[in-house]
Order: sequence, then C-alpha cells, then structure tokens
Amino acid sequence: MRKVGIVDVALSPGVGSSLSLMEFTYKPVKEVLDKVGIKRNEVDAYVMASSDVFHSGLSCANSFDIDATGAFMKPMAREEGDSIKAFIYASLRIMSGIYDTVMVVTLIKGSEHPDNDTLTSCFADPFYTRPLGIQETTAAAMQKRLYQKRYGITDEQCAKVVVKNLGNALRNQNAHIKKRVTVEDVLNSKKICHPLRAMECAPKSDGVCAMLLASEEKARELTDKPVWLRGFGSSMDTFYLGDRDLLNTQLKNAASMAYKMAGIKNPAKEIDMAEISEPYAFQELLRCEELGLCSQGQGGSFIDSGATQMTGSLPVNPSGGVLAMNPYVPRGLYRVAESALQIKGQAGEHQIDKKVNTALAHGSYGFCGQWHGVVILGN
Amino acid sequence: MGRMGRAVAVIGTGQTKHGRRDDVSYPDLVREAIQAVFEDAGITIQDVDAIVYGSMPSMMEGVAFNHFYMADALRAVGKPLLRTETCGSTGQSIAQTGIYWVASGMADIVLVVGSEKQHEGDAQATMMTIPDKITLPMVGGAPVAFSMQSREWMGYFNIDEAKAREAAAIVSVDCHDGGLNNPLAHIQMKVTKEEVMNAKIITYPVRLLDVCPSSDGACAVLFASKDKARKICKKPAWVKGMGFRGEEYYTGDSNKAVWQSTIGAAQEAYKQAGITDPRKELDVAEIYNPFTYHELMFMECLGLCPPGEAPDYVIDGVFSPDGELPCNPSGGVLCTNCIGATGLIRLAEAARQVTGKAGPMQVEGAKLALSHAMGGLEQFNAVTIIGSKL
Amino acid sequence: MNKRNEKPRTLKSVLRIPYEMAQGPAWTHFFEGFKQKKILGTKCNECGRVLIPARPFCPRCFEPMEEWVEVAQEGTIVTWSYVNYTYFGVTADMIPQVPVTVKLDGTDCGWWGGLIGGFDVKNFDLVNKKVKVGGRIKAVWRDKVEGNMYDIDHWEIIK
Repeated sequence: MRKVGIVDVALSPGVGSSLSLMEFTYKPVKEVLDKVGIKRNEVDAYVMASSDVFHSGLSCANSFDIDATGAFMKPMAREEGDSIKAFIYASLRIMSGIYDTVMVVTLIKGSEHPDNDTLTSCFADPFYTRPLGIQETTAAAMQKRLYQKRYGITDEQCAKVVVKNLGNALRNQNAHIKKRVTVEDVLNSKKICHPLRAMECAPKSDGVCAMLLASEEKARELTDKPVWLRGFGSSMDTFYLGDRDLLNTQLKNAASMAYKMAGIKNPAKEIDMAEISEPYAFQELLRCEELGLCSQGQGGSFIDSGATQMTGSLPVNPSGGVLAMNPYVPRGLYRVAESALQIKGQAGEHQIDKKVNTALAHGSYGFCGQWHGVVILGN
Repeated sequence: MGRMGRAVAVIGTGQTKHGRRDDVSYPDLVREAIQAVFEDAGITIQDVDAIVYGSMPSMMEGVAFNHFYMADALRAVGKPLLRTETCGSTGQSIAQTGIYWVASGMADIVLVVGSEKQHEGDAQATMMTIPDKITLPMVGGAPVAFSMQSREWMGYFNIDEAKAREAAAIVSVDCHDGGLNNPLAHIQMKVTKEEVMNAKIITYPVRLLDVCPSSDGACAVLFASKDKARKICKKPAWVKGMGFRGEEYYTGDSNKAVWQSTIGAAQEAYKQAGITDPRKELDVAEIYNPFTYHELMFMECLGLCPPGEAPDYVIDGVFSPDGELPCNPSGGVLCTNCIGATGLIRLAEAARQVTGKAGPMQVEGAKLALSHAMGGLEQFNAVTIIGSKL
Repeated sequence: MNKRNEKPRTLKSVLRIPYEMAQGPAWTHFFEGFKQKKILGTKCNECGRVLIPARPFCPRCFEPMEEWVEVAQEGTIVTWSYVNYTYFGVTADMIPQVPVTVKLDGTDCGWWGGLIGGFDVKNFDLVNKKVKVGGRIKAVWRDKVEGNMYDIDHWEIIK
C-alpha cells in the first residue's frame, strides 16, 4: 500500500463573508497551489466535499463548484456529508497507485443557509421521525441527558469544554466565535433544549479548506515538511435513535479501524494532540472516552484534570474546535488540517508548546453522530 | 497516470423492477436491489468491507443526506461508507469510488448502490436548483439544457435537420425494442420511426419519444479484488479502464458540439484498457442516453464514429442490434431513468453482457463492453470499460 | 409482506427553505453595469479570453480576472431551443418559449442570456424559419432596469 502525505493546506475564516461562494472557494485553493508552487492543471485529480442541496440551495453542487476548485478537465468526484469522507476518498485514489497528487476542497457558506436545525430536521424520515420534531439539537439533548445520568457528568464539566475551546479560539485567526467566557456565562445562557444551553451549541459558519495530498515520493518533492497519513477509519450507525445505545456509538469502531491501521495500541499515550468534532460541548467529553483517550465514564474528570488544555498532556481542539467555528460540511477536514498544521509546527498563535509527532482528527454528523470518521497523522 | 491499481472485478449485480414504485417505501426499494445482488453473487453482508452509496440531491425525495435514512437498507451499520454524488454521472462515480477502494488495497469487497425514487419529488424543480439564482436564474430543467446542446451540435456540424431527426428516431426505436427484451425496464412498448418523428415537440429538437421517463429504481454492484473474485465467483467481469472529466460551470465557456469531457473520459478509459479502435474492439456499449440526440453525440465523442457523422452511421444500422456495435440492448436510459442508479445500471448491464448473463438482451459472444454516464449543466462525463478477461 | 391487502399509502408534504446568497464583488459589479444597460465582461491576462457573465477568476488559467471590458450588445446565435412543456416555476402562459445562447461580439464564450422575442415565438414554424444557429441578435432592455438577470427583456433577431 502506498504512503499518503499532506503537502499543504489553506483555510478560510469562519465569519460570514461578503464574497460569493465562487470567490470564497477560489481563495484557499489558489493559496495552496501558490504555496506549493504548482498549477491547477498539474494536480492529477480533485475530490470535493460540498453541501447537500439543503445546505447551499445548489443541487449537484459539483456543477457550480468545479470552477473554483480548479477541477476543469481533471479526474474528479464529489463526496457528501462530512468532508473527512473526501479526505478518505482522495487517499484511496493515491493508495491505488493511479494518481500521485489529489486536491481535496471542501466548502460551505453557513451565512447563506438557514439555521442548522432547519436543515438537520430534513435528515428525519418523513413518516415516523420528522413529525416528532427530531433534529441534531433535540437528538443531542437526549444524548447529553443520558450521558449525565449514566456517568454523573456535571453541567460544569460540560461548560468547561466551552470555556476551553472558545479560549483557544482567541488565538486562532480563522475562528468565527471569539469571546472570553466563564463557566457561569455558559451555565447562565439560555436553555434552548434542556439540558443543552445556547452556549453549548456550535454556531453556523462559513468555511473552505483546500488540502493537497500526494504519494510519498511526490510529497517529499513538493514540501520539506510532509505530514503522513498513518491511519483512518469510519463507521455508520443505524438510523432510528431508539435502536442505538447513544453512549456506545460507532466512533469506537471507526477509532479501532484507524488505530489498527496506524499500529496504535495505547492511544492515550501515543497521541500527542487531537482535534475532535464537538458541535455540542458534552460530545467532546464523550468522544474522548470513545476514542480511548480516557476511560469510559471519565470524560468529566478528564477535563477537570486539565489534560486537554492547550498546555496539558493531550491538548484537544487547540483551534477552538467546532464550538468556535462550524462550517457544517468542511468541519471534519478543518480538524485534519489543524492537526497537520500542528505537526508541521505552522499552527501560528495556537501552536501547542510540546512537539507533536502523532495527531488525531475526528469528524461526525447526523443525529448523535450517525457517521464517524477518524484520521491519524504523523510526522 | 494510465496505470491501474490492484485488479478489480465485478462479482455480482442486482436491480429492482424499475417504474412507478408507489408500492414500496424508498428504503424498501433499495433493499430489493441489495437482496438481488447478494443472491447473484452468493455472498452475504458479512463478506463486505465497505459501502458506497449515491443518488441525486436530497431535493429529489425530500430527505437530506439520505444515506442516514438508507443506512439499514444498505446494510451499512458498523461499516465504512462513502457517499459520492456528481449529478447525472453519479451512477458511474459511485462505481469508480468502489473500484478505487478495492484498487487501493483498503477493501477486498465493496458494495456499491445507487437509487432514485423520482415519483416522490419534482425532478425538474431539483434540476433548476443546479444553476445558481444570481447569474442563471432563467435556466430551465434538464430537457432545456440538453436540447440546447443538441441544437448546437446540429448547427456546428451543419447536420441536415431531417437526417438528424431520422437518426434520432432509429435510436428511439432500437432502445424501445431493447426495453421489450428487458423485464426490469420501466418503459416497455413498441414504437415506430414515424411515431417518434411526429411526436409532440417537448424542447426542440427533442420530441416526446426522444425523452427518457422518470423512474423509481435501484441498482447494486459488488466489486472485489482479484483473489476474492477468483475464490467467490465462477465468472467475474473485470474492470479494464475508467475515466471521468468535467467542464466549466457556464455552458458557453466550452464548445458542446465537440464534447471534450466525453472525449477526455473515454480517452483515459481506453488508454487504461489498451483500446485503440473502440468501434472495432468493443462488442457492446451502454451509453447514457436520456435524449436520443445525446446518444448520437456520444457515438461521436466516445470515438465510435467520426465527428458529425453519427446520423449516417445510425441510418446505416452500425449501432443497431444486428450492427457492428450494438448500443443499449437493455433499452438504455430512454426506457429507464432512476437517475442516481442509471450510470451504475449501465455498468451492471455491461458486466452481464461480458459474462453471458444478459438473457434476452445478450449480444452474442460479447467480451468487451463500454458503460457511460453524463451529468451537470452539459458538464460531466464518465466511462468505465468492462471485459470478460483480466 | 403485505398480507392484509391494504393499498400502500403515500404522504404528501412540502418543504420550504429560504437562503440569502452573497453576490460578491464580481457579480455585484456585473449587475451594476446592467443598471446602466451595459454588459461588462472580465478579461483573463493569461489566455486573453473575455468571459460573461463576469468572473472573479479564469476557470482554466486559475488566475484572477481583474480587467473589466464593456462588450457589444449584439452577437451570434450559438444554439437555441423551443420549449413546449411546463415545469416548476414556468406557467402555461410562459410557453412555448425560445431560450438562446449567444456569443456577443468581443467575448470568447457563449452566454445563456435569456429568451428570443419581438415576434410570435409561439409559432414553431415561424421560429424555425427566423432563428438560426449563426444568426445575429441584439439585447432589448426593459424600460426599468433593476440590476438582475431579468433586465434584458428579450433578444431581437437582426439578421
């Protein structure tokens, strides 16, 4: 199997942009090409991840997206859902030996679409679940209640995730939400869907991430600091929430596939930092458990210990995570890109102090995370 | 490029009965194709490493990211899933996703599923959300866009209108005859050349019998590595080559009479398959023909005849059932168009042809077959070549 | 499975989802031109092509297109169709209609810019006689322009 390297990445800011979707997408793609010093037609293939029609108002979005992603008359495809899918697909194309370079581009303008939950309510089937008002936030509220009840996770512990991540975001020039908050601020914010409070839920943001992947030989030729793909895994869960144990999700399965491929036996020890999708604050704690970064039911004491702080032993979401910036489709690839920048030592003001040899990136979407993807990167 | 990774085989195909399927829910329709593919291959879901799913955009059936809703029908629970979508070319794109997955060595058996339930939504309204509302608010649905392209082709090559109309009618008659041989086809009726030529104009030059139906249906294909295929399957079909190309968003940026994305996709696939004279070397072609005039254009751009001469070749019977290269013996898209599945159905029919499993549609002794799909605003083309030998 | 002989039912439902889309600097300037009944294209400094509608960058060369040029309001027909069926957003009184792609003088692309008009376009034989690939047309503006794609009322046959 061929080794896959990340050559370089470029990210757009998350705040609502006055650029058209076409202009907004073009900028990071052009930036990556210029940084690496190649032309768009020298890239072998393109994989894009863009919105389902409901997130952009554009059907078959590859029709519109092709110009700004640079894929004119190049082999290409488009993934839907979380952009880690596009990362995986692009990696498969390089591993197959057919292509040496693949550009991954993911895009969305949250500022142009209605509220997240207007759209996530459309995930529900029209007969059984849509009439009940289920969407991602109501589903997450049920998951949070169960999590708190089964493991005694406190509201304060969940609020600490918000304080940490928004604190980290103050140093991230791309972050959408930039404000210093306290545990009290979070606890006093509006109860929008009990037990979830407004500040525990992610915003909707703009976002474009362009990432150039290459085979080992090509990556070494194109950059002094390639970041290597060591493993990935993904897994799909059953549709109806009532059929699942909401605290025993497919993330465990996705993680074990990724760890096996990367040869990781003890993730808590071997992983230096993680970027975890946490559209709802408590999910960072639950997901740390399911990723094996702490033991089951210990997500609360894990954040209490300070381990996941920027200066801790296993920083989680030094970029500020999804709570600070939530471009729905791109957010998974943002996690991969932020992890790659940490390994390269190019994360800027939110670069963590210790050396990063191994990083974990995670993406998820759907009710209580019906799909999970995990990517392990190394230097 | 021009290389192929690990060899990839088709070890099974399955389709639903296509048509208006109000009798089943959408997930049940998908289940029907999946049951059929496992029966055909003689394996179970336990043997499958990964799943690829595709359909047209959510607006078609009103459920966003419908791979969530389909997860159980797809038997995807606990498995990796990719969801590829490229508009009309989706069926070929999902097949190619599955092929890359096996070729990469990351999976030995991949289940690829495409589906559509066109009667649950407004397909033309969906197509009208492909162009943006700022610069292309007045662009109509698919028949309008593709008829504009057909007229461009006729004008560019100065093709006599009566001749093009006759050739289009022959394509329609051949496809409808094919549909009568295909028990799963949506449209099953006999038409005559005169009926096609005199049918009501829908979008000039396209007339009613030049247009595909709106179908409900699903298709599933199992791809496997060489070792697995040899172990499981008595007679696998082999992926010989594949290509995909896309053009600019604004249709006027490129000449659509000499359709470079079709040419580019075909050339890449032919190069991998070692094909230099496609009309002579191919035994059968399953061409994405939602409109008869498009089949004519594709014959040229796929290199099956010289540019501007497809009508002459068709009138000479070169692409008819008993001609040199039979096209769309299954009845093609003209008889069945469940869009997300359509490109995959082309590949499934190609695989059935080269393994001698096409029943009444069988082209005698077919060894090498072309499958194709197109989509977008006259933008995307995909080609996959399937053969009987590794 | 259905042992009760119940006819399987269907459920009717309608979704309504609003968007607010940014036009960005390039398209904003293009439509500002419309307000003065001007058609503005952008020129690529790499390949030299002038494209409309205006673009922020060249899709082939992938360089920014920052040079603006006013193009002619007359051009050559690349293709046309005669639309004789209704679909979402199109009412019976709007058809038949004749959409056209035109290559305006001074541009290097076709432009799907609207509908042919100025005569009885519902008469197919007349349309097929008057509208020719390679024929010449010119833009006819609405009296009151608002800076959007509907400002060009129709395209008139001039040759």
